[in-house]
Order: sequence, then C-alpha cells, then structure tokens
Amino acid sequence: MATTTTAFTARTPSLSRPGLAAELRALWAVFNREWLIFTRYPSFIVALVVWPVIFPMVYIFSARALAGPDGSGLALFARAAGTDDFIGYIAVGTTVWMWQNVTLWTIGMALREEQMRGTLESNWLSPAWRFSFLLGAALVHGIQLAFFILASGLEFALFFGVRFHGSPWLIGLVFAASIPAIYGLGLAFASLVVAAKEANNFVFLVRGLVMIFCGITFPVSVMPGWMQSVAAWLPPTYTIRGIRNAALNGADLPALLPDLLPLAGFGLFWLALGYAAFMWMERRARQTGAIGQY
Amino acid sequence: MLSLSRPTLLSHVRALWAVAWKDWKHFWRYPLNVVSQIFQPLVWLVPVFFMGQVFSVDGEARGFAGYSGSGDYMSFILLGTALNNFIFAVFWGMGYALKNDMDTGTLEANWLLPIPRLLLLVGHTLTSLVTTGVTVAVMIATGALLFGFRPGGNVWAALLTLLPMLIGLYGFGFAFAALVMILREANTLVDVSSFLVNVFSGASFPVTALPRWLLPLALALPLTYGFDAVRGYLLGTRTLLPLNVEAALLVVFMVVMLAFGVTAFRALERRVRRMGTLGQH
Amino acid sequence: MSNWAVEAENLVKKFPQKKPANGNGEAAAKTRPWPFGPRPAAHWFTAVDGVSLQIRQGEVFGLLGPNGAGKSTTIRMLCTLLEPTSGTARVAGYDVIRDAGKVRQNLGTVLAGERSIYWKLTGRENLAYFAALYHIPPDVARRRVNELLERMELTARADELVEKYSTGMKQRIVLARALLARPPILLLDEPTLGLDPQAARRVREMVKELQVEGHTILLTTHYMEEADQLSDRIGIIDQGRIIALDTPAGLKQQISQKDAIKLEVAGWRPEMGGALEALSGVERLAARYLGTDSVWEVNLQSDDSRAVLPGVIERLSQRGARVVNLHIARPTLEDVFIHLTGKALRD
Repeated sequence: MATTTTAFTARTPSLSRPGLAAELRALWAVFNREWLIFTRYPSFIVALVVWPVIFPMVYIFSARALAGPDGSGLALFARAAGTDDFIGYIAVGTTVWMWQNVTLWTIGMALREEQMRGTLESNWLSPAWRFSFLLGAALVHGIQLAFFILASGLEFALFFGVRFHGSPWLIGLVFAASIPAIYGLGLAFASLVVAAKEANNFVFLVRGLVMIFCGITFPVSVMPGWMQSVAAWLPPTYTIRGIRNAALNGADLPALLPDLLPLAGFGLFWLALGYAAFMWMERRARQTGAIGQY
Repeated sequence: MLSLSRPTLLSHVRALWAVAWKDWKHFWRYPLNVVSQIFQPLVWLVPVFFMGQVFSVDGEARGFAGYSGSGDYMSFILLGTALNNFIFAVFWGMGYALKNDMDTGTLEANWLLPIPRLLLLVGHTLTSLVTTGVTVAVMIATGALLFGFRPGGNVWAALLTLLPMLIGLYGFGFAFAALVMILREANTLVDVSSFLVNVFSGASFPVTALPRWLLPLALALPLTYGFDAVRGYLLGTRTLLPLNVEAALLVVFMVVMLAFGVTAFRALERRVRRMGTLGQH
Repeated sequence: MSNWAVEAENLVKKFPQKKPANGNGEAAAKTRPWPFGPRPAAHWFTAVDGVSLQIRQGEVFGLLGPNGAGKSTTIRMLCTLLEPTSGTARVAGYDVIRDAGKVRQNLGTVLAGERSIYWKLTGRENLAYFAALYHIPPDVARRRVNELLERMELTARADELVEKYSTGMKQRIVLARALLARPPILLLDEPTLGLDPQAARRVREMVKELQVEGHTILLTTHYMEEADQLSDRIGIIDQGRIIALDTPAGLKQQISQKDAIKLEVAGWRPEMGGALEALSGVERLAARYLGTDSVWEVNLQSDDSRAVLPGVIERLSQRGARVVNLHIARPTLEDVFIHLTGKALRD
C-alpha cells in the first residue's frame, strides 16, 4: 500500500527511524520497563517464594488425614493414582493450577493495568508495533513464572521431601509444551479484558474450571464420564498428567506423547486465538476510543 | 443556629442500618460478582470431594476415621468450609472494608461523622454476614443433594457454641482493622495469614493429622476449638478436649478478644489523630 | 498536494449509545426495546460534526471550547487514537488512517498529563523507554534524553522515581517525552491544566520557544488568556463544530467590541473633546465631571488603544490638561466566546 504522496517537508525532521531492529529494540524496552517496575514492588518475593509452599498445604494435610494415622488409605490412593507419593502428586497439581492462575492475573491483566494507569494511550501514541506491549509483558511474566516453578520444585524437595525421579529434560519438555496453551489464553484474556473492562469473573471462571475438572488433587479417572469429557478439553489436564508421569513415575518420551500432542494442538489454537483477540480489540479501540476510559 | 444532628440510640441503629444498606446495594450492583461468590464454595468443594473419593471405600473414608472418629469426610469438610466463610466475613471483612474506604478516599469523610467508628466497622460486616449466609445456605443445600450431607446431633448446642466464637472474632476484627490502618498496605499479609489460619484451625482437616511439631500452633488458636466443638455436636466426631471445656474456652476467648480489640482500636484512633495519617494512602 | 502541517476535512465522529441523549442524539423519542423497536445502537451521539481546519508549518493554533465541545475527540482523531466516522485528516502530509505509523513518528502528543507516565520508573528511565518506542537510534536517544532533561531542568532529579515528582515536574517529563523524536508537529492537550502559575508560565514560554525552533503546535485549552497569548490563530469549537476560526485580533473584531479607554483628566475643558475626536481611531467620546478637584472622567472607544493613546495624551497636554489615571478595558476571547455561543468558556 503506497503511502499518500505529500509535499510536506518538515523544517525540523523527526528523529524516528523505523525498521526491524527498531521494533526489536522497542520490544526490549517494554520488557525492561516491566521488569524494572516488577522488582520495585517488594512483595513480589512473597508471591514467588512463599505461596508455592503454603498453598498445597491444605490439600497435602487433608490427604494425610485421609490416609489415616496408620496410612491405610494410602493403598487406595496408590491404586487410583498410580503412585503412593501423594505429596508429590498434589504438589504438581497445585503448582500447575497456580501457574495458570498467576498467568491470567499477570499477563491477562497487563494491558488492563496500563489502561487504568493511563499509560496505554501514551504507549499507543508511539509508532511501535502494538502487539509488542503485550508480548513484552508476557516475556517478563514468563521468566518470573519460570523462577516460580523452579522455586516450587526446590521447596517441595526441601520441605516436603518430594523426590523427582524423571529426566529433567522431559519434565522441561512437558512444561515447554504447555506454554503456548496457557499463554495463548493469557493473551486472549488480556485483550478481552481491555474491551470489557471487567476481569474478576473471567478469572474465577477459568480458575473454577481448572479446579473442578483438571484433577489437581486426584486422578481424573475418579470423575464420572461426562466430567472426564470436559477435562479432555482443558489443557491443564494434560500438563498435570504429563508432569506427574515425567517427574514422579519417570516416564519416557513415548509414554508422554499422549499428553504432549494434545498440548501442542491446544497451544496452536490458543496462540492463534490470542493474537486474533488482540487484533479485534485494537481495531475496536480505534473505532470507539475505548482505551482511554477507565 | 442549631445543628440538626441529634444522637440517640435509635439514630445509631439507623446509622448502622444505613451502612449495611449501602454495602448491600453496592454488592448487588455487580451481579456477576454475586454469582461467582455464591458458586465459589462449590468450586472449592469438588476437588476435595474427589480426593476424598480416592481414599474411600463405599463413601467411607476409613483412614480418615482414624483421626476424626467419623468416616463422613464430606460432612466434616462442609461444616468446616461453612464456618470458615463466616469467620472470613467477620474477621477479615472489617479489615478489607477499611482498606477499601482508604483506597477510595472515603475514609476521612466517614470518620468525621458523629458515630462511634467501631459501630461503622460492625455495620460493614452486616451485609457480608448476610451474603455469606446465602452462600453457605447454597453450599449446604448442594452438600445435602450431591454429597449426602446429613448432620444430626445437637444443633442448638452447636449454635450456642458458635456465638462466643463469633463475638470474639469481632474483637479480633477490631484489632486487625487497627493494624490495617497502620500498615496501609495489608494485602499480602492478610492473604498469607488468613490462609495459614485456615490451615491450622482445622477447617479442612483434623488438626491431629498435622505433623507433631506443628500441632502446638493449631492448639494455640481459639478457632480450632470452635471448629472442633461444632463438629463434635453435629457430627459426633472425636474432639480434642471435652465439649464443655471447649465451650468454656470459647467464652473466655470472647471476653479477652473483645477487650483486646476495643482497646487496640481506641489506641490506634488516638495515634492516628495525633499523627494525622488518616487521609494518606 | 498541500504543504499543510495539519489538515482536516469534514471530520465527523459518531459514537453509538445505549440511551438517547437529549440534544445531540438523533431519534431521542421513547422507543420500544429491541427486538420490538430499533436496535439500541440506532442512537448515535455526534461528538464531532464536520470539523475542517488547516494549520501551516510553524504556526501555533489554539483550539478553544468548553467541556463536551468535541475538542478531545478531534485531537484523538488527529493523533490516530480514534478513527473518524467520515472525513479525512492529514498530519505532516500523512493520512491518519492509512499511514498512522508515519503520523506517530512525526507527532509529539501530550494528553492528560500526569497519568501517562510510569510512576515506578525514574524520569530518565521513562524517557529512555519512550525513545525506544519512537524508534530513535540508541546513540541519538541517549543524547536526546540528556538534552531534554537539561532543557526541562530535571537533570538533578532525573534518577528519582517519578512518583516523587511534583505536578509541575511530572508535566515537564511528559512534555520532554513528546519532544523526544523532535517531531515537526506537537499536539498539546491542556498543557497547563492543574499547574501553579509559575509552572504554567514556564510551559507557555516553552511553547513560544518551540515555535521559534520551527515546530508546529496545536494547542487546546480552557484558558482564553493562554490561547490569546500563544496562538497565531484560534479555532473555537462548540457542539462538534468550529464556529469561528481567525487570529485573536480578528476574532475580537468580529464582535465589534472595541477597546474602552477610561481617562481621568485634570484640567479638562469640553472643547478638548472635539480635538480628541478629530484623531483617527477615536470614537464615541463622552466626558463627565467626577465632582472633585476639577477631574473629569473621559471615556472613549477605539479599535486599537495602543496606537491611539500617545496621540490622545499629547493633545491633552498641549492644551494644558493632565491625565491622572488611565484604564483600558479590552474585549477578551471570553467576550468573543459568549457572544458566539451564549455560554461561558468554563462552565
């Protein structure tokens, strides 16, 4: 598309020099900014380090209670879950749940927070590619979440005595395979929330679905058929099962494929949807001017 | 010219009603929030239920019975969650309401009113008590329908035991509200301590299942005995101490906490007046 | 084509609204709910109703209007945040819809001051961040950031978090941000709103400096003295339309309100009236005795009091009279505005 011809020549020409390198620098600037701001709020340490440990406590102690003072319930658990390491089993489930939850609250709210702060407009007044703002935030939060997951793993080993048997590469592979689906949902969420200006209930819906259907504290096979069908449509189900297999049962790659393949499929779908949602929201904002309003 | 303000007992009651009514209207203006609040407990119950199923044979969690004296895991949980919701409504409701007022800038305006501020705090809890009541009712109904919740036992004794616990909680709530005003940034502290209290008071599992070194923590919390007593009366579970002892403990708790809470709050009021930190955020 | 810095042709912006407003909304009558009546979006609120203007390079153009007049909507369309319903606009020769990116490269904008920077970043970090967003090469950016910090007198506090800045300082950082890419065109939306008089004066001085440096400036404001002082031309917008567009002097002339000069003259004699009226530019002379010390109040009107005064005073002193007090009332833009719209500028 040719630019409009113009006879305008500025006496004071602009210093702006667009190009691919410039766009990448802009992306880096967004990343840097988000990182700086995050580290300037001291309570982030608590979020990253304390919660992974105390959140599963309720479930772990409940499971302990259910196992009974003589551990007689454990045999029942092992039969259904395929392992008697109920602590590790639950820890994996709660960690994935928190990962999904935190992603929605951080990446999902990235644009909305800018909107409420008033900086969304100033960002959009610049010539930088608008998707960079979401991408940069997603990268920062992605790194934080990586730390969070590593910290969780260490803490479970330290405080709860969980022993991970599997290959770290395969465990990492399952996490990597889950990233597109979880982040794609976060991206879609970020755009919808800017348009709708309402976040809480969407988050509750997703949290609720994952909590009910994805087997965070129990094997999915225990649920009635219709619930299992619903679970099959939720990516965290596969993440949880895959990581449990890889980390606690030492499964090998072929054994993990039934979880990795659906995750890849979901990932593609949600990433595409996430980008489409952004394009939709950006266009709508240009037509109705919605981004400026609180 | 005479002010139109004429404080009497009736006017105080009316003021209380006004606060509660404002909160009530505010609550219903966000209908989606109402729906999610009502369904929250259900969402939380499901993983608990299925986890219990895994450990159960024919709906009886035998391992569990070893700790609590009853294999009815779901009833145990339902009661715990119901109580927990009320505790949250009172205990934290005041702190959050205050923080909310601070954030929206209405705190100073409210404090300039000729009403005892403690009354304002109490007023804030009224609406949340009612909405919690609705939530709990839905939860119990769901429990009865889906999870076979059938409490027997002495309902009146249970309720009578609850009363001192709730009143004591108000006392704690006053002290906590005072803390929120000093700290001004309370969210993380509130979330973490609320969660820990939940864990250690036996809301979700019998405290005897805790590792030995953590048990003293649980036994030191008065709330633990509240949960224990209510379950003892309604479900016939094995209690930590004899029921009448626990009930007496709760009465003592009530008196001590009320005194402490009111004192703490008054002290804070004086400090805030001296230092003028009310309006800042 | 044209060499206009900013050009708008019949810009229109309509917003859909759920409830019909009284006044600007069409079909404001009661309707039955959809699907028995028209769809709710059938009610449109016209915020901007055919705005056209042309700003030449190096000009300072003031856009004046009360709240709700369509000022913000117009500038949002010009800075590419909002798409017009119909009409076209070009900034630096680029179409605001088709070449939005190029427009943004060449436009520096200041909207709602304080809220548009990051409070948890330092002043310097904020500028470095936005410099990258404006595609300024890194070495150029570094120099430019330092340059602007110095110009805004913020170098000493550049490495403190913005949340610690005063309102005036925050506004200066925002202004610095707008200037980062040295854009040929600047769009300043209420740049002195909320500032104390000293800070506001500094901003106005800066606008003048920027004009001298060759920037084109589109300025919106509530303050008519500011618009009067700074603008080469002023557009008055009300209810989505430009109702007047001229130089400040031209606008004041429109309402044919002249400068009113009030002199207190000692030693006045009625025949002096004739001598003064003979001066060109003196009109409507009227004199009355103030009742003390033979001081008379002499009122006269003129199109240009500054030009006429020296002559008046000279003639008076030639005839032995002395001016002991002088007051000149000039018509203000507020007068112009009220005359044109029947409303005050600040409602």
